[in-house]
Amino acid sequence: MDEQNIDPGLIHEIFKHVWTRTALEREKNGRNEAPTDADFVTVGGAGTSKKNRPTSANSNALKLSAELIRIFISEAVQRAAAIAEAEGESKIEATHFERILPQLLLDF
Amino acid sequence: MSSPPLIGGGDDDEGFDWEAAVREIDVACENAKPSSSSFHHSRPSSVLDLDAENRRPAAGGAWNSEVASNYSSSSSLVNNGRRTGNCRQMTLDSFVGKAAAVRQVKKWVVEDVEGSAGSMGEVREGGFSCVEIDAEAAKTWVYPVNVPLREYQLAITRTALFSNTLVALPTGLGKTLIAAVVMYNYFRWFPEGKIVFAAPSRPLVLQQIEACHNIVGIPQEWTIDMTGQINPTKRTDFWKTKRVFFVTPQVLEKDIQAGTCLVRNLVCLVIDEAHRAMGNYAYCVAVRELMAVPVELRILALSATPGSKQQTVQQIIDNLQISTLEYRDENDPDVIPYVHNRKIELIAVPMGKDALDINKLLLDVIRPYVSRLSAVGLLQNRDCQTLSPPDLLNSRDKFRRAPPQDLPQNKFGEIEAYFGGLLTLYHIKRLLSSHGIRPAYEMLKEKLEQGSFARLMSRNEDIKKMKLLMERNLTHGAPSPKLSKMLEVLIDHFKSKESQNSRVIIFSNFRGSVRDIMNSLASISDLVKATEFIGQSSGKALKGQSQKVQQAVLQKFRAGGYNVIVATSIGEEGLDIMEVDLVVCFDANVSPLRMIQRMGRTGRKHDGRVVVLACEGSEMKGYTRKLANSRTITKHMHNGGTSSFSFHSSSRMIPHIFKPEVQFVEMSIEQYIPRGKKVKDATDIQTPIFTKKLTAAESAVVAKYFQPCPWRPSLIAFPSFQAFPSRVHQVMHSHRTGMLIDTMQNLQALSFPLDSRGFSFEDEAASGKCQGTESPNRDDNDEEDLGVGYGTPEHNSQSNSRDSEGPISQKLTTKNLSVLDLTGESHSTHAFLFGSDFVSVDSLGKVLISYVPSLPLKLVSYPRCPDNEAVPLNCAKRSPSHLKTLVEGSSGPTVLQNFCTHLHSLSEDPCKRNISVDGLKLSESAILVGDMVNGGDSVGDSFVDFGINSPCPSADECCHSREDTELSPRLTNMMQNGVVPESPTNDHDLLNDKERAEIITPMKLHTRLLTVSPGPWRNESNAAAVIGEADMADPSIIDQIQTPLRETSAAKVDKIVYSISPAPKASNSSKDWPFSPADDKSDSVKPVRRLKRLRKVGDLEKNKNPGSIKDAPSFHEANPNVCVNGAHRNQPKQGKGKREQFGIIQDFIEEEAEVSENGEVSEDERVDEDDNSYDQSFIDDRINPTAGSAETQPSRVDMMAVYRRSLLSQSPMVRESPSASFTPDCNSSCSSGKNNTTGSSSTNTLHSLRTPLHENQEGLQPSPAVPCTAASNIPTENSTMLEMRKRRKLTFHQPAASVPIINLEEEFSKQLEADPNPSNNIDDPDTHEDMLYDDQFFAALDALEAQATTTQQNRPNLSVQKQDTMLPNSELHGTPTFDLGI
Repeated sequence: MDEQNIDPGLIHEIFKHVWTRTALEREKNGRNEAPTDADFVTVGGAGTSKKNRPTSANSNALKLSAELIRIFISEAVQRAAAIAEAEGESKIEATHFERILPQLLLDF
Repeated sequence: MSSPPLIGGGDDDEGFDWEAAVREIDVACENAKPSSSSFHHSRPSSVLDLDAENRRPAAGGAWNSEVASNYSSSSSLVNNGRRTGNCRQMTLDSFVGKAAAVRQVKKWVVEDVEGSAGSMGEVREGGFSCVEIDAEAAKTWVYPVNVPLREYQLAITRTALFSNTLVALPTGLGKTLIAAVVMYNYFRWFPEGKIVFAAPSRPLVLQQIEACHNIVGIPQEWTIDMTGQINPTKRTDFWKTKRVFFVTPQVLEKDIQAGTCLVRNLVCLVIDEAHRAMGNYAYCVAVRELMAVPVELRILALSATPGSKQQTVQQIIDNLQISTLEYRDENDPDVIPYVHNRKIELIAVPMGKDALDINKLLLDVIRPYVSRLSAVGLLQNRDCQTLSPPDLLNSRDKFRRAPPQDLPQNKFGEIEAYFGGLLTLYHIKRLLSSHGIRPAYEMLKEKLEQGSFARLMSRNEDIKKMKLLMERNLTHGAPSPKLSKMLEVLIDHFKSKESQNSRVIIFSNFRGSVRDIMNSLASISDLVKATEFIGQSSGKALKGQSQKVQQAVLQKFRAGGYNVIVATSIGEEGLDIMEVDLVVCFDANVSPLRMIQRMGRTGRKHDGRVVVLACEGSEMKGYTRKLANSRTITKHMHNGGTSSFSFHSSSRMIPHIFKPEVQFVEMSIEQYIPRGKKVKDATDIQTPIFTKKLTAAESAVVAKYFQPCPWRPSLIAFPSFQAFPSRVHQVMHSHRTGMLIDTMQNLQALSFPLDSRGFSFEDEAASGKCQGTESPNRDDNDEEDLGVGYGTPEHNSQSNSRDSEGPISQKLTTKNLSVLDLTGESHSTHAFLFGSDFVSVDSLGKVLISYVPSLPLKLVSYPRCPDNEAVPLNCAKRSPSHLKTLVEGSSGPTVLQNFCTHLHSLSEDPCKRNISVDGLKLSESAILVGDMVNGGDSVGDSFVDFGINSPCPSADECCHSREDTELSPRLTNMMQNGVVPESPTNDHDLLNDKERAEIITPMKLHTRLLTVSPGPWRNESNAAAVIGEADMADPSIIDQIQTPLRETSAAKVDKIVYSISPAPKASNSSKDWPFSPADDKSDSVKPVRRLKRLRKVGDLEKNKNPGSIKDAPSFHEANPNVCVNGAHRNQPKQGKGKREQFGIIQDFIEEEAEVSENGEVSEDERVDEDDNSYDQSFIDDRINPTAGSAETQPSRVDMMAVYRRSLLSQSPMVRESPSASFTPDCNSSCSSGKNNTTGSSSTNTLHSLRTPLHENQEGLQPSPAVPCTAASNIPTENSTMLEMRKRRKLTFHQPAASVPIINLEEEFSKQLEADPNPSNNIDDPDTHEDMLYDDQFFAALDALEAQATTTQQNRPNLSVQKQDTMLPNSELHGTPTFDLGI
């Protein structure tokens, strides 16, 4: 398991997915904010500026992210497995994961 | 045509068919009519097998021979089952081409084809596959009907599919559609063919790729736009992977030259704006390169304006190897329906007077130069009016090429200067006429500043005059007539229509005039929102617009932000400027080609209007002349231009055996997605990866968690799991996790004291060692210490302890962060707690061993206990909520219960705690204190045997059963005492002092022998003194303590407490315990930790308290638990201390048992003191209730006295403070409870307090003769405090007590009766002792004694009363306790 690395491309895809989603949300928020702004400022017109520039990540950052996520996942699985084992179960359930989740999140 | 044979053709039939095919092909050679059978045979040729390829070379050799032989060979190949469609196609094509060759150049085409066919064989060896035809697709050609069909488009498309075509259509008539359809069909026909669309600018490329997509919907994964912005290596990849390319001609040219373009796969080349294909433009170069390869491909050239002259059109035809010219203009019948009415107005504008004058001056300037040049013979035309810059340029070129023979060399420079000057002047003249004065002036001014023109003209008078005239005109002259006319036109236009929805483009050839126009438009800015639209190059005067700005301008123009664009020639062609209603040509003298492009900006979808502004004179003349030119060229191009132009032959590309028929298709076109830089690649590569790898089950799981309603893991689902560190794999816990765990422990202690603890405990147990150690310890305790009875209490205690231990360990863990250490500590603590003496062996090892043997350990434990107490006190102080203190107090008693040995210390602790609490509370709310006390009492009561608290009875029983059970009575007594002492603390007001005093007192008690220590203690009774003591004991510890000390007051208390703790240690050491010093040290070291722990515990308790006020009501249960917890905590935290204490306590007990007599005396004394203190407290607080309680509960008083005594005995200082404090505490507790809880709660509390006291007294009293019990109680307390004496006494008393305890009621009564006496007796000695101890306090003590005596006297009565009321009280206890809790 440790041998295998997560494909940085996959991570990139995930990142992009998240970026686009956040961008959309931001846009939505911006739209929501726009009327309020308009109330005060009454300025329209959207700027075509850097805001719209897509987020990017360079390859090393992606590799690093992939490794971090790999460690994170393996740690999560291992810890959840420990819980599951302690309960005498051979299958990791969501509840096992939930038990280790808070501390896991804080550990990363 | 031949579809049946095509479809039905099987391998079996093929041989036969092929013979027929060969024959038919032979016929076809003659007729140039491919037969259906040949077509049929060619179709399977698309099926290649390796054999065919391998043998191809051999066949290829034959191919270079004649066509007929080719056919035979190919047919033979086919017979052998080796067929390659390409070869056959090529041969067929070549054959057809040759047969059909009618045109001049056809021959070389055929040769080329043959050559390519021959080369194909060679290439094949290298694995190169020539373009194949999808025969099925080739049966038809597709024409989309998404947009309404136009006949001329269909016709042109049909033509363009099969020959190289130049399409000359006016703008807006759908050239792009023709191109797209042709491309799409070639895309279909040639599955591996590459199709190139070349457009002269990047914006055009982007525009056309989208347009083509929207027309025919070529899948976007096959299309790519490539401009110079994509680097060559990427382009190489694209050339390999894509099939449809939208490129700039430069890219095409370079890639062809670089060989990265797979020219052999090219099947179709579309050239947009083909009129540019002149000279060495990239179009021409690219086509030449392709023809040189050679490669067969379809060329489709598009242009609205192929050329203004017959020659130029012919050049284009030559350059692009065009076979057919398809020309339509607005007047053609099949176009007319689609052409909108486009009104062209020519407005002749007079030049204006100033301009005319300037023009005349200009001519004056020009004339001499012209005459000079013509004199030399360089200018034929002597009319300077009609000379034009091109004429001059031509003349200059001629002069440069062949200078006149008779002209001396030195004149050359002069003539050059003349030419240059004249060019400039004519340019200025032209500017003047077409654009007005300002551009001309600016030009002149610029030219006069430097260069040869300046040298030539700077001294010219006419020039100067002209310049002056221009300046004058510019400063205050009328605007240029053209400008004013243009404004008129615009105003008319915008007034007649909605200006919002109308768009206007103003074309000007000259940037300077663009600015002029802009300035003049500013005057009607209410109607016109104008912007300029110019090229990228930046001149001196004007900065260019980048492409971004241009796009933004167009965007805004579309959106309505601008309604007028003032454009230079950049706006004329290509860019997707939205259709406008009015085109104003500011200058008319432009080429008809450009004029057509300009006019093409309007009238596309609806009627438009073109206004041409022309100055009268030269400009007008030029315009008309050029208009005539354009008419002549249209004549040439009519009828396909066959009469005027010579065309080139081109291959049909599709073998004639295919007769594609038009198929009208409604295309389903996907939304066009502009190509992002990397998105496409990434998606292409990425998406497959994990979609492919997932099994159905996995994807189902993914769907389960990530689809519509996502499952969100809960972070709060298992809070109990967060109270301890989870097992880690590779990643260790972070500091934040530690904080989380700590916090969760606190919180859970709050909300689920029992459960959470239990969980945590279990968890820890699961984790490990703790449980194991604990259980053995427990067992040890049970076996060794406890009789039968002990078991129950132990269970309780154990349960409690477990619970408490859990949290403790957790706390420890949190504190230490390192789980191992914590567990170890917890283990040790557990061991200590359970069986201090016995267990000492267990895991505690060092501590236990060292402590066990030595009484000092007990002492140490004492200090520790005080520490604990102090901590709670601090906690209490810190937290205004009394509940916390109560809890602590209760915890104290519970602890006592749980740990009989501990009980003493614990009892003391609770007492102290109560005291402290009382003090604190007294200040704030006595009720709470009372509650606290009550709680403690209740606990004690519960211990005594009130049914209310299960643990209490059990504890009591335990106490009875055990010798330790004696301790429990003691504890109960202690509790009672503790209650009493609390009151004194209240009296003293200075809780710190009291506590200190108390703490000190124990120390002193211990140090009774060591009177010296008491002294300092007394002094120390003050905070400073305490500190001093602490210093005495262990400065380091003190420091540590101080540092840990909480807030100021709390800090003081803590300090005091801490100091006390060390002090006791010191005292212990000083007193009797050689070991003690070491112990002290160890303790000292430990205390700090303990303190911290304690603090935490206190915090926890506080948290619990505030959080669980409700818990308070159920003090019996909750308190015990809490108490247990607290005790456990304290113990575990102070575990060593407690353990030591336990051991010590046991030792003390033994000692006390030995010393019992003496101890009794001392106890008595203490009791006396206590009594005194009670009295005082009563007096101070509110004597009546408290006194009553005190009186009623002599035993209690005794207990209190014992506590006090212990304190007192420990330290005279304590005596004072304790006496005061104790009495007040008890009284105050009672009183305070009463007072504060004036309501039922107060009474209840009082009752409860009383009852507990009674109970305690009873429990204590019954078994041992009253005095004994009292003594026992006292000694126990004392023992805890004084350990030595107390223990002795306790040991004696305890057994007795235990017995009596069992008989609660009777015992109670007995105790009550008995107690008073002993207590009184004791009190006296205590007071005496106190007197002895502290001179300073003597007076107060005396008073106290007096009070005590009175109280004692009263007490019997009270006790009797209490006895009477005991039962009710006991009953009430539950309620009071609850009230307290509440």
